[in-house]
Amino acid sequence: MNYTTIPTTCAYCGCGCEILFEVLDGELVGSIPSKANPINHGSLCIKGWTAHEFVVSEKRLKTPLIRKNGEFKEATWDEALNLVSSTLKEIKETSGPNSLACLSSAKCTNEENYLMQKMMRAVVGTNNVDHCARL
Amino acid sequence: MKVLKNEVETLLKEGTISAFLGMKQIKGHANPFLFTHLDDLEHLTIAEARYPLAKIILKIAHKYADHHLGIMVRGCDEKALIELYRNKQLDRSKLVPMGVACSGELAEKCNCSKPYPSQFIVGEAREISFDRTTLEKIESLPLDERFGYWINKLGKCIKCYGCRNICPVCFCEVCTLEDAPLIPLGKIPPEVPAFHLSRAFHMAGRCIDCGLCEEGCPVDIPLRTLYRKVREIVEELFDYLPGEDKEVVSPIQILGDGSFEIPEGDH
Amino acid sequence: MLEESSFEPKIITFCCNWCSYAGADLAGGMRLKYSSNIRPIRVMCSGRISPHFIIKAFQEGADGVLVTGCHIGDCHYMKGNYITAKRVAILKELLNFIGISPDRLRLEWIAASEGDKFARVADEFTKKIKALGPSSIKNISFNK
Repeated sequence: MNYTTIPTTCAYCGCGCEILFEVLDGELVGSIPSKANPINHGSLCIKGWTAHEFVVSEKRLKTPLIRKNGEFKEATWDEALNLVSSTLKEIKETSGPNSLACLSSAKCTNEENYLMQKMMRAVVGTNNVDHCARL
Repeated sequence: MKVLKNEVETLLKEGTISAFLGMKQIKGHANPFLFTHLDDLEHLTIAEARYPLAKIILKIAHKYADHHLGIMVRGCDEKALIELYRNKQLDRSKLVPMGVACSGELAEKCNCSKPYPSQFIVGEAREISFDRTTLEKIESLPLDERFGYWINKLGKCIKCYGCRNICPVCFCEVCTLEDAPLIPLGKIPPEVPAFHLSRAFHMAGRCIDCGLCEEGCPVDIPLRTLYRKVREIVEELFDYLPGEDKEVVSPIQILGDGSFEIPEGDH
Repeated sequence: MLEESSFEPKIITFCCNWCSYAGADLAGGMRLKYSSNIRPIRVMCSGRISPHFIIKAFQEGADGVLVTGCHIGDCHYMKGNYITAKRVAILKELLNFIGISPDRLRLEWIAASEGDKFARVADEFTKKIKALGPSSIKNISFNK
């Protein structure tokens, strides 16, 4: 029997509200707003209140999926990454680097976002870098 | 606080309880925690920050229905627990409450008229009278202005469900506020004033006036004032107050005996 | 002093199947004339009327809500109407606190034989709502 609350920062938007994740026997069961944080003062928006749900959701992908014959089939990371890099190379060669763009996300860390834009600018050769909120 | 630590230590050692739900002090902040080992008890604290421990114990008690659990209770937690016992959500015989009376500052901040449980081992009983100024101010406004005031405040709602999520007596698994025919999806602010009127009606005979809803509202809607008014309406009409340790059932939850009549005026 | 207003209120009327709806039927059978502003909704018992129905009716723009049912002691389901009175009493006070006139919500016990009472109540209530004017919920900009 194990219950604890772990303070963490909400990953959804730039506010950075502090949430206490409720962990019961190693399982994420709920979110409570932290009263100690001067940013949110014990309040959360609907995304913060349900921030624990996507972590344990059944709908989360467990393996990469590749569309074959109109259907998604499970694949390995190697297969998936090889397909992505060869297709991106092909498009770059035939249509030019500016025909490619990337949409990153606030849910990624700053470091991941840095790598993403570095790859687009240095490797692909385009500055079409944007954010998923514009989707 | 030493008193509390010693009590909990004794209960855990004797095996009277399997675990104690209290507050743990880590890096200067106090967060809810379930103490099962005696070594953890050095971090036990009584913090001024209020979290709905009654709601948390629900989760744990549902999973471990056969275990005896200890819980730190303030005046408000005790009222919440009584309501949960009344609604058969918790087994009273399986809970060991450790009472803590609130400090004068906390009682003033919470505007609480009974900041102590019926039995407590820490702190001392104090009474402050409930500050009815906001309620009186609203009651004194003429009808149109009152409407304007409420629509102004309720229009700020961002539908975070914080009031419902943090409420210690809200335990329903299927919530009316998520019922699409009543509250259509995807609208911000949610149906003004139906969303809040629905919640306010649900609080009739349930609200223990703990104020966590208003503390958790990101846009400062005077929720406690609204639910406090409902509480006063129920007290006046049915002479019933939720949170009192009596063998009674809320008059709204039973059909009754038909003796109630709508007071004066035309029906 | 009384202006001929062109305001025709919409009054949602909940009627219980066994008594008040039959009463309304009888009013029709007796060829009684009464205000056409009332919009009847038949439910099996007045106890079925959740306070949320009433709240929803006001939210959708009803100028008045009339809740009718069997007299106490005559409920087809024995005690259904016991809870109706309690709910309407609380709701009236709550509406008053929010700034909606409690006179816009009315509870009336009407038996199956009281066709004339149904017509009279319909007329009285319509007159009252006309005097109160249209519900201000319709004007809330963010509900549109």
